[in-house]
Amino acid sequence: MPDTLHAYRHVSGIYFPIAIGVFAAVVLALSSLLVAGARRRERPSGRSGAHRFELFYVLALGAVATFLVVVTFRAETPIDRTVASPGLRIKVTAAQWSWRFEYPGGVSVAAVSTWQPPVAEVPTGVEVEFAGSSRDVIHGFWVPQLHFQRQLLPGYVTRFDLRFDTAGHYGGECSVFCGEQHSQMHFAIEAVSPNAFQAWFSRQRSRLGGTA
Amino acid sequence: MSTTALPVRAAPLRALAGTDHKRVARNAGAVAFVFFLAGGVLALIMRSQLAADGGVVSQNTYNQLFTMHGSTMIYLFVVPLALAAGLYFVPLQVGAAEVAGPRLALAGLWLLVAGGVSMWSGFLTSGGAASASWWGFDPLSDSIHSPGSGMELWIFGVMMVTAGQILWAGCILLTALRRRAPGMTLMRMPVFTWSMVVTCLLTVFAFPALIVALCLLWAQRHFGGVLTGGLGAVDYQQLFWFYGHPVVYVMFFPFVGMVGEIVATFSGRRFFGYNAFIVALLCFAGLSMTVWAHHMFTMGQATNKYFSLTSTALVVPAGIEYLDLLATLWGGRLRFTTAFLFALGFIVQFLVGGLTGIILASPPLDYGLNMSYFVVAHFHYTIFAGSAFGLFGGIYYWFPKLTGRMLGERLGKAHFWLMVIGTNLTFFPMFILGTDGMTRRIASYPASTGWQTLNVLETVGAGVIALSVLVFLVNVLVSLRSSEHAGDDPWGAQTLEWATSSPPPRHNFHTLPPIRSYAPLLDLRDARERAMP
Repeated sequence: MPDTLHAYRHVSGIYFPIAIGVFAAVVLALSSLLVAGARRRERPSGRSGAHRFELFYVLALGAVATFLVVVTFRAETPIDRTVASPGLRIKVTAAQWSWRFEYPGGVSVAAVSTWQPPVAEVPTGVEVEFAGSSRDVIHGFWVPQLHFQRQLLPGYVTRFDLRFDTAGHYGGECSVFCGEQHSQMHFAIEAVSPNAFQAWFSRQRSRLGGTA
Repeated sequence: MSTTALPVRAAPLRALAGTDHKRVARNAGAVAFVFFLAGGVLALIMRSQLAADGGVVSQNTYNQLFTMHGSTMIYLFVVPLALAAGLYFVPLQVGAAEVAGPRLALAGLWLLVAGGVSMWSGFLTSGGAASASWWGFDPLSDSIHSPGSGMELWIFGVMMVTAGQILWAGCILLTALRRRAPGMTLMRMPVFTWSMVVTCLLTVFAFPALIVALCLLWAQRHFGGVLTGGLGAVDYQQLFWFYGHPVVYVMFFPFVGMVGEIVATFSGRRFFGYNAFIVALLCFAGLSMTVWAHHMFTMGQATNKYFSLTSTALVVPAGIEYLDLLATLWGGRLRFTTAFLFALGFIVQFLVGGLTGIILASPPLDYGLNMSYFVVAHFHYTIFAGSAFGLFGGIYYWFPKLTGRMLGERLGKAHFWLMVIGTNLTFFPMFILGTDGMTRRIASYPASTGWQTLNVLETVGAGVIALSVLVFLVNVLVSLRSSEHAGDDPWGAQTLEWATSSPPPRHNFHTLPPIRSYAPLLDLRDARERAMP
């Protein structure tokens, strides 16, 4: 299940406390060494190593690194995987400096103007497969609320799955600097219930039929 | 009489063409510092733009500003200054009369000047300076998306300075390996010299990849068909980051070495865990050649788990280095000089950069944080809050050796505390903004994001940093005008550069003390104390 939000929260819930703990421990050790060293009147120590302690310390560092890698690998495997039969496939095309989302059956969503970025509707609770590519330079498909981004390359299709568990408005940005109007490359994803999505999708299709 | 010295008499000519490694290194350091000031001015303009929420410069100018800020700080300031420190002190620390390849060292200086001028002259062209970021990524940097001579001047400039840096690395490496004084075995070389050896190994192995990448980019711009399609863009990144990650350690190791020397000297004791530290440095360097594609996690074109594994494994050598730095304080009798304060600043603040680096080495976290201000905060904590503090520590420590004059301690401490406040005020809020989704390389953000307050705070911090650098410049000017001489060894230091006059004579030493460990001057003092009960 490509639940990027859950993966991010799970991993950061382990990494950040460890980082803060290590920082606090080093600062504490450093402060006590500084206080002791500032008070010291006798000759400085001549000791230049403590091999047994160093060996133990290396093993401890190795254990921490191993633990972190295991946590990361376990969280990464499901979010890197694409499922065989997603609930919806959307083709994303990025170009300087806008986005275009193409649904099955010829439905597509594109920017009206810089001030009206495209809003792509998706159903909640299912895997949505995005097949993204770029028409010019590298762009970055980034949904900050999902803590997920993937780069879109020219002449190559990058596939990834996302899952929107809660309905709502998800802002999107281009994360990879892509030239003068990079800052204007917004998009949005509107996650709605599967029924509402079906209704929206049928409306779009009939509108398509009307103009054809 | 040396066979390498040019028969140059006139002083100005000697400044341009003298091959004394100390003169070349001092000039290179001065040039790099001027580029630091210039890059800092670009940063201040960017910070004004972000505090004023736009209106100071256009988006296009802003793109040139961040491109040239990053390019200047990395290609023209930190890397050349780190290598210049090695060029000056490695021959002295190993007891050599001269650097290996003095003319190549001089060529490196001129390549730095020529390359820097080339990159900056882009501002004079009609299209402006390069604006494709310091990475110069294809296809954004190709002739369609970045037309104009600014980009061309950037490509040639970066190639020149990089070539010069490879020459310097070769000179320093050969000096340490082939020009050591009798008694100076490899495992008696000072910590700083060892840090330069691993730095130069990385430079020699990794930097050519950047020149190759830029040659391909140049060919792509003029002839096309070299970096084609989506995977051409990936190819460029593979080559670029094969340089671009080792360069991070080129900007780190020399300063760890400096901090090691400073901590040992001002604790008045032998460096703790020397052997472990050297082995850790070598492992660190080897491992750091295997982590480059962690910059490409979000491309989905690299084996993320492999690069995540190697990047996380860096915890082990980094942890050993930290242990040895801290343990050197243990049982020491500390003297809180300005140099020592900067070294402590390095230890604490670099740790923030290092720990957040481990966070970014986890792909599930990187997917959410890459290209955000979290990354900007992370690498500024390593390069500025870390390496620049180590560098200033090194400057306060070695200034008497370079000039024969002491830097003022009172102004020095004002410089230190202002820089600590400015640095953390500028860069810490970026972690918060980054986790909130603030993307880098954007000239103004919508007011609805609510990021304005912290952006103003960061800009105030940048102003405090600028003030601290002004205090430093005043300190340098005041010291150079003073007539009081520093003496050969004002700190009671431990390594050979302090066993000669300040500044050292043309061929560095008239006599050398016996070398029986990595702290020969400490050995001499210990022997003297034992002789006088």
